[in-house]
Amino acid sequence: MKELHTSQTVKIPKGVSASVKARKVIIKGPRGTLTRTFRHLAVDITMVGKNTVMVEKWFGKHKELAAVRTVCSHIENMIKGVTKGFLYKMRSVYAHFPINCAVQEGGGSVEIRNFLGEKFVRKVGMLPGVSIKPSTQKDEFILEGNDIEAVSTSAALIQQSTTVKNKDIRKFLDGIYVSEKTTVVPSD
Amino acid sequence: MVLSQFRFVEVGRVAYISYGPDAGKLAVIVDVIDQNRALVDGPCSGVSRKQMNFKALELTSIVMKIPRGLRPGNLRKAWEKQEVQKKWDSTTWAQKIANKKK
Repeated sequence: MKELHTSQTVKIPKGVSASVKARKVIIKGPRGTLTRTFRHLAVDITMVGKNTVMVEKWFGKHKELAAVRTVCSHIENMIKGVTKGFLYKMRSVYAHFPINCAVQEGGGSVEIRNFLGEKFVRKVGMLPGVSIKPSTQKDEFILEGNDIEAVSTSAALIQQSTTVKNKDIRKFLDGIYVSEKTTVVPSD
Repeated sequence: MVLSQFRFVEVGRVAYISYGPDAGKLAVIVDVIDQNRALVDGPCSGVSRKQMNFKALELTSIVMKIPRGLRPGNLRKAWEKQEVQKKWDSTTWAQKIANKKK
């Protein structure tokens, strides 16, 4: 069945400016600018007034209708990234061999040594726009950035670089895992 | 309620017929039949009252204020009263068509 019309709006808060042209959304805020294209989706994205973005779908089928809300969620994440930023905390967990992490290139990549006693040095580069730094807490570091996809993908790259091979993973729980997902600017 | 700014298919929307036997004429959408077709009538432009697929219609910026299902006699009166032909002729779309004919 085709739904005649579905739409959803995103309200843009003060201090953030948004512009849309040909399904390319540009969000500007105090922490920077984020751009995202939705040209792979057949939805209408328009600005209504100066501070509302409306996403519409005409005659959509079940799966196409789902795209409306996901576009709105992506835009909301862009707004959050540009006002508050995204902060992911990762903890190194080990049973016997301490995991040594050294942040390189001023926060652009991280080197992981002595994972499970291995001599192999793992080097993980952060995506552009993401910076990594060690935290005051032991065995913890912090990823910061504006784009939620970049930050979470960088965290996933680190987590997946410390996978255990040829062992029972229920027993060998070593690795670096995401412990907390918050914002750079603390929200009250 | 937030409304988007598009030309909507609605009762009273004046449409330009883009292909078919009545190509090039104006007609008013008098009623919507289903997802693909509308009941269309253009008493002053030589379009008899009939159903047309939306694919053959190009929506103009002119909307008439008529009730749904208005009969041709009263539709003609409303067309003349609301000066639809004059509004159409003053649009750049109509002027471009006229220039092409020259």
